[in-house]
Amino acid sequence: MATAERSVVLPGETIDPSLIPSDPKKALRLGPGLRHIPPTDIVPTVAGQLVTNPVKNSMWIEYNSNRYIPSQNDIVLAQVLRSATDFYLCSLSPHTAPATLPHLAFESATKKTRPILSPGQLVYARVALANRHMDPELECVSASTGKADGLGPITGPGCAFDVSLGFARRLLMARSREDGGVGVLEMLGGEEGGGLAFETAVGRNGKVWVGSESARTVVLVGRALQETDRRGLGIEGQRRLVKKLVKEMR
Amino acid sequence: MPLDTSTYNLALLRVDGRRWNELRRVHAQIRTQAAADGSSYLEMGHTKVMCVVTGPSEPGPRRGGVAGGGSGGAGAGGAGGKAEVVVGIVIAGFSSVDRKRHGRGDKRTLELASTVANALAASLHTHLFPHSQINVSLHVLSQDGSLLAALINAATLACVDAGIPMTDYVAACTAGSTSTYAANDEGADPLLDLNHQEEQELPGLTVATLGESDRVAVLVCESRVQVSRLEGMLAVGVDGCKQMREILDRVVRDKGRRMIQEGTVEKGVGLDDMDVD
Amino acid sequence: MPREAEPSLNEKQFVIQALQENLRLDGRELDQYRPLELTFGDQYGVADVTLGNTRILAKATAEVTVPYADRPLDGIFTIATELSPMTSPAFEVNRPTETEVLLSRLLEKTVRRSGALDTESLCLVAGQKCWSVRVDVHALSHDGNLTDAACLAVVAALRHFRKPDTSMEGGRLTVYTPAEREPVPLSWLHSPFCVTWSFFGDEGELAVLDATWLEEQVRVGSCTISLNKHGEICQIAKLGGTPVDAVALLQCTNVALTKVKEFSDLVDQKLAEDLKRRDKGGFMAELRAENDR
Repeated sequence: MATAERSVVLPGETIDPSLIPSDPKKALRLGPGLRHIPPTDIVPTVAGQLVTNPVKNSMWIEYNSNRYIPSQNDIVLAQVLRSATDFYLCSLSPHTAPATLPHLAFESATKKTRPILSPGQLVYARVALANRHMDPELECVSASTGKADGLGPITGPGCAFDVSLGFARRLLMARSREDGGVGVLEMLGGEEGGGLAFETAVGRNGKVWVGSESARTVVLVGRALQETDRRGLGIEGQRRLVKKLVKEMR
Repeated sequence: MPLDTSTYNLALLRVDGRRWNELRRVHAQIRTQAAADGSSYLEMGHTKVMCVVTGPSEPGPRRGGVAGGGSGGAGAGGAGGKAEVVVGIVIAGFSSVDRKRHGRGDKRTLELASTVANALAASLHTHLFPHSQINVSLHVLSQDGSLLAALINAATLACVDAGIPMTDYVAACTAGSTSTYAANDEGADPLLDLNHQEEQELPGLTVATLGESDRVAVLVCESRVQVSRLEGMLAVGVDGCKQMREILDRVVRDKGRRMIQEGTVEKGVGLDDMDVD
Repeated sequence: MPREAEPSLNEKQFVIQALQENLRLDGRELDQYRPLELTFGDQYGVADVTLGNTRILAKATAEVTVPYADRPLDGIFTIATELSPMTSPAFEVNRPTETEVLLSRLLEKTVRRSGALDTESLCLVAGQKCWSVRVDVHALSHDGNLTDAACLAVVAALRHFRKPDTSMEGGRLTVYTPAEREPVPLSWLHSPFCVTWSFFGDEGELAVLDATWLEEQVRVGSCTISLNKHGEICQIAKLGGTPVDAVALLQCTNVALTKVKEFSDLVDQKLAEDLKRRDKGGFMAELRAENDR
C-alpha cells in the first residue's frame, strides 16, 4: 500500500478531512464502500478499513463481507446458468440476481463463431456494467483493445474453491505478498512447495479456480488457499502450512 | 394374534402354505387405463396396486407438495438437462384392516414416493427428455405386506407401457428371516416375499435390483436384525428379484403378443424378439 | 422457494476425477470422517455435534402428559427435526423439503422404532399419566452428512438427559424438582448410530464416507446404515439412486460396524467426562438426597 494510513470507519461516519488525499492536479477517485454526497461530503457505506493512495489520489474501504456486490472492472469467476437469445445468464454468487454475458462479448466473436457454453461452465470475466438498479453485465473481452487478456471460458482439469471476498482481493493485488500478506501461491510454486506446476484464476466474487494436470496438485493448492483464508495465517504461518501440506500429500 | 413361527422349521411351510423360497401369486396387467400414457395393475398376493404414468411432458404448474417428488441424479428438472420423475402415492382408506386416513403430508408415504422416484430415475433414460416431467401416480388398493416392492414393480411396468426408454426392469421383492430379532437364533433361515403378518413379526428387508444383475437399486430394512443375518436375507432377496423380473417380462411379452394378434400393432422387425407362436 | 445453488460443471467433474484417484478435496481418505466434536450444554439433554462444517444441536425435554388411548402403558417419545432457512436459503419454515422428511424418517426408524428408549419406563399411571420425551433437532450449519451428525446428536442428547424423579404414594404422583431429588437418567437400551455411504461413478463403484455438501450434490446414490455396537442393524436405507453391487453393500455394512463402534466409544467417553465435570461436590449433594428420603 502506498500509504500507512489505515483507520477503521463505520457506515455514515464523517471521515477525518486530513485523511482524504488532496492532489491539486488529479481528480479524487472513490473506490468501493464510499459515497460522494454533493457538494463536499464523503461518507462510508460499509464498515471497514479506510485506505488511501496519495499517488493515485484515490481512497476506498477494505472490508470482508460474505455477499459480493459487483462493481465495474472487477474480475470475477462467473458460472453460466443458461443461455438466452443473445446473452448468457451467469451467477456471480448463489441466491443473487444473475448477471448477463452477451454472446458477442468474447474475443473475435461473431454470430457464427461465438463460443458455446453449457450450463454450469465457469467463465472468467470482467464486470462491464454495474448499476444499482440493473443486473450486472459481464464481458470477456477488453472493449478498447478487442483482446481477451486471459478472460474467457475456463476449460481444462481443475477445480474452483470458495474463499472469502477479502482474501480474493488480497490475492488479486499486484504485489500480493507485500501489500496483501499472501505468499502462499508463490511458495507452492517455489522451493517450499517443490515447484508445483499450476495456474490460478482469482475472481473478486470469492472464487479461485486452480488448474493443473495433476489432481493432487489442485487439491493441495486449494486446501492451502482455504486454510490460509480460514485461519488468517501470516507469511510465516503460510510457509509452515505449505511445508506441512506438501509433506502430507506426498 | 402373534405369528407362530415354530412350525416353519418342522413343516417347512409358512402360514399361507408357502415354502421359504416361494413368491406369492403375482398377477399383473399393463395398459389398463385407456387415457394414460402408461398404466399397470399389479397384485402380489393380496397387495394390490395400480399405477398410471403420464409423460414425459412439459412440467405443469407445481402442485404444492402433493407429489413426493424425487429427482434423478444431480440435474433435476427445471434448468437441468434431465426429466424429473415425480411420484405421487395414494393409499386408499380401505386398503388395510384398520381404516386409517393417510394425510397428504404423511412422512411414510412421502418416503415411499421418494424411493420409487429415485429408483426409477436411475433406470429411466431421463437425459433424453430435458426440461420435462414424468408423472407416476400410484394407488394402493389393498395392503398385505411388501408394499414398497409392489409399488416399484407396478411403476416399472407402467413405465414400460408408456414407452419410456430404460436400462432394464427395476424388479423388487422382500426377504425376511424365520426367527425374530430377540430370539437371536443363529440357525434362522431366510424367507422370501413376506406377507403382512410376517412383516409385523419378523425382520425383513425390501430389495430392488436392476434387471438380471446383482446390482441393488433399493435396499430398505426397517427392523432390527443381527448383521450376520443380512447376507442370507440379501441373497434370497436378490434371487427373488430375478424371479420377479421374469414375471414382469412375461407380462409385457404376453401383452405385446396379444397386441400383434389383435392387429393393434403391425407385425414388424421386433417380431422375433417377441416369442410369437 | 430459492433453489439450492448447484456447483459448477468444473467442480463436479473435478470431484469425480479426484475421487477416481482416491483423492478428496479436503485431503481425507475415502473412508475417513471429518473431525467429529461432541459437547454437552450446561443443562441436561443438550448435545452439540460438529462434523467438519456441519453442526447439529439436539435438545431433549420431558413433560408429564396423558398417554395415547391405544397405548396406555407406553410413554410418548417424539423426535422433531427442523431445517430452517438459517441452514440454507433452500429450506423454508413449515414447508418440509424432501431432505427434511427423509432425515426425520431416518431418525425415527433408527432411534425410535429400534427401541433404543424403553417407552414403557416412561409410564407413570397406566392410561392416565406418562412422560412425553421430545428431542428437537436443529441443523445450525449444513456442509453435508446431516444424517450421521443428527443421529449422533439425538443419541448423545438422550443419554445425557435427566428427567425429574417421581414417586407414587397412595395414588398420589409427586414430581420432584432437581433441588429435592437428583433427576434420573432415561432407561436406555442400546445406542444406534447412522453411517452414510455415498456412491460415485457410473456403476456406483466408488463408496465414500461422510460426504461434504459438494460431494453430496455430485453423488449418484447413497446408503444409510444404522447399527449399534453389538452388530445389530436397526435400519438400512438405500432409497433409489444408481444400483450398487450387492457384495459391495455387504462390505459397506461391515466397515460401518467399525465406525459405529468408534462413535459408541466417543459418546461413552464424552459422557464420562461430562459426568466428572458435573460431579464437583457431587458426593455432598448425594448425601443430602439420602437424608431427604
